[in-house]
Amino acid sequence: MASNFIPLEGKSKGYRIAMIILAFLALSGFVSFIISYLEGHQMFGSNNAIPWGLPIVMAIYLIGLSAGLHILAFLIYIMHQERYREVIRAAVFMAIVLIFGAMIFIALDLGRPEKFWRLFMLFFMNNMASMFAINAIFYSCYFVSAVIYLISLLNNMKRFSMIMGMIAFGWAMLTHGGTGAIFGFISTREPWFSPLSPFEFIFAALTSSLALLILVLVLIYKVTGRELAQELIASLGGLVKGLLLGMLLLMAIGELTHIYSPARDAAIYMLTGHLSWLFWALLIGTGVIIPLVILFHPSMKRSVRGVVIASALIVVGIFVKRYYLVIPGAAYPLHYYPGKIEGVWGEVGSFSFAPIEIILSIGIVGFLALIYIMGLKYLELLPAKDKIEKVDKKPPAPTASEGIKEPRAKADAITPDKAQRKPDERNQK
Amino acid sequence: MARWGMVIDLDKCTGCQSCSVACKAENNVPYGSPDEHKKRTAPFWHKVIAVSRGQYPTLGIDLIPMPCMHCDDAPCVTVCPARATYRREDGIVIQNFRRCIGCKYCIVACPYGVRSFNYKEPEEKEYHRPDLPPERADRGIWPFPTRVHGVVEKCTFCFHRIDQATREGKKVGVEVVPACAEACPARAISFGDLDDPDSAVAHLLATRQWLRLRENMGTSPKVFYLPR
Repeated sequence: MASNFIPLEGKSKGYRIAMIILAFLALSGFVSFIISYLEGHQMFGSNNAIPWGLPIVMAIYLIGLSAGLHILAFLIYIMHQERYREVIRAAVFMAIVLIFGAMIFIALDLGRPEKFWRLFMLFFMNNMASMFAINAIFYSCYFVSAVIYLISLLNNMKRFSMIMGMIAFGWAMLTHGGTGAIFGFISTREPWFSPLSPFEFIFAALTSSLALLILVLVLIYKVTGRELAQELIASLGGLVKGLLLGMLLLMAIGELTHIYSPARDAAIYMLTGHLSWLFWALLIGTGVIIPLVILFHPSMKRSVRGVVIASALIVVGIFVKRYYLVIPGAAYPLHYYPGKIEGVWGEVGSFSFAPIEIILSIGIVGFLALIYIMGLKYLELLPAKDKIEKVDKKPPAPTASEGIKEPRAKADAITPDKAQRKPDERNQK
Repeated sequence: MARWGMVIDLDKCTGCQSCSVACKAENNVPYGSPDEHKKRTAPFWHKVIAVSRGQYPTLGIDLIPMPCMHCDDAPCVTVCPARATYRREDGIVIQNFRRCIGCKYCIVACPYGVRSFNYKEPEEKEYHRPDLPPERADRGIWPFPTRVHGVVEKCTFCFHRIDQATREGKKVGVEVVPACAEACPARAISFGDLDDPDSAVAHLLATRQWLRLRENMGTSPKVFYLPR
């Protein structure tokens, strides 16, 4: 294999500071989890009308990113494009970290997190008709196969990693399709009930993860002074464009199906209700239309800056899509009886972000970023920067990354002077 | 095996909420402040909803008491990953608090919104669960396992009464009924064996028009309503 991989040195001041900040975030997340565990879910914003809150939004978002990254990593691997291959290890490791984080989110959102193991007593204590139990198979096998895939990549086992990549690719599809089925199979909730849901999830996952991959790639390359091939970013941007169009098509079909049927109240609420500005402004507006305009624009689609802006908007837009599915999607009251249900039972459910769940979410994301930068230090994930050193060493400017709020990216941003060394000797074997 | 069901006469119901209060008292369902009720975090096993149709001069209000429908094909049983919710042989859908992991999937899946989550540590810790083993810390209030926050609970058709009556040889539906049926001053709620053609509920269903809520969901609930 042409490209060599090296670990981060991880001795700079920036790396240590990032570790400390992330550890502090993780600790605050842990403390807020303990509070929510002792006090109950009254600390969260969810209620009997909207049973699932921010942790579930985060969980399905992270599962989507993870599965999408994995699928992409495999597609890149089989494309036999050496320049893309540089990012596979980092992408697969990120996929593992993200699925792990999603599992943490699901576990901490349970009412009784100490009974988390019950989800994995498959065929023994589980009701295998439940999509949750079926997904437990998907998630655990996905995690294991991704870890084996990463190990095979780290050891340069070409043939084996090809096979493992194929298996992990299939499982990633199943995993995220299954996550979509958790929502799509619930006939009670009209906005969720859709056979398209698994496919929509897969498309959204691919789109958001490719956008995230572009962001992280540009950031790492910029910050560590590696040369960034512009046509690589442009071609990845073209791929994002196609995926985004696919997602838009599925979304449009889903919404039209919901509106076409006479029982369209909930769908109408989703499109015109008091939270619909989220849908129109953040998802359709800045999440789909503006990126599409950028990616179709003849000059902007070639520029790294344009693709990066489009990717950042897509990443945010898909998060809003997840939020919009879980929270306003459950808000519309159920019609127990024809007519207008008076009082609290017929009201649209209300949801307010509780501070505890926000701190919990930020803390878990910080914890994941901590794991990720530790992985960068102890595993050989980053491509060695031994090819082109002609780019003059300008001081790294983390502000160059517009609107990127990824903590792990920030962590990398603080470690500019890495990867100056020669490729690791062990790798050459 | 009996198949327990409930028939609620909407013509007799006055909306006095006696059934809701009796249910709270009988099953020691945790209370909630008005604020929590508004936020929908207070648990209810039984509720009475008012449904209006039309505008003021020509306005009709239907009062619908809503216990758990104990569906024959219950979505909550299908989606529960931990087998915490299951259907007994006599058709009662039971929630086992010990197994419940609190994922709230059943709340999402229930078409009738009859399931409640314990959002805070309840002060009302005892409830009638002779089917569950007692807890060691609670020898004092045996045989009631304690209630904790973070699990889902719901109406049980007062199965502790039914089980005890069956054991003692009393007639369920005549001598022993669930607390809501017992408390109803208008005698709008009758309870009995749907499979027994001589029972009061079977008579009512045979002689009068009836409806069930959200028939289109295909859940075949065992709570029937006699329309006005």
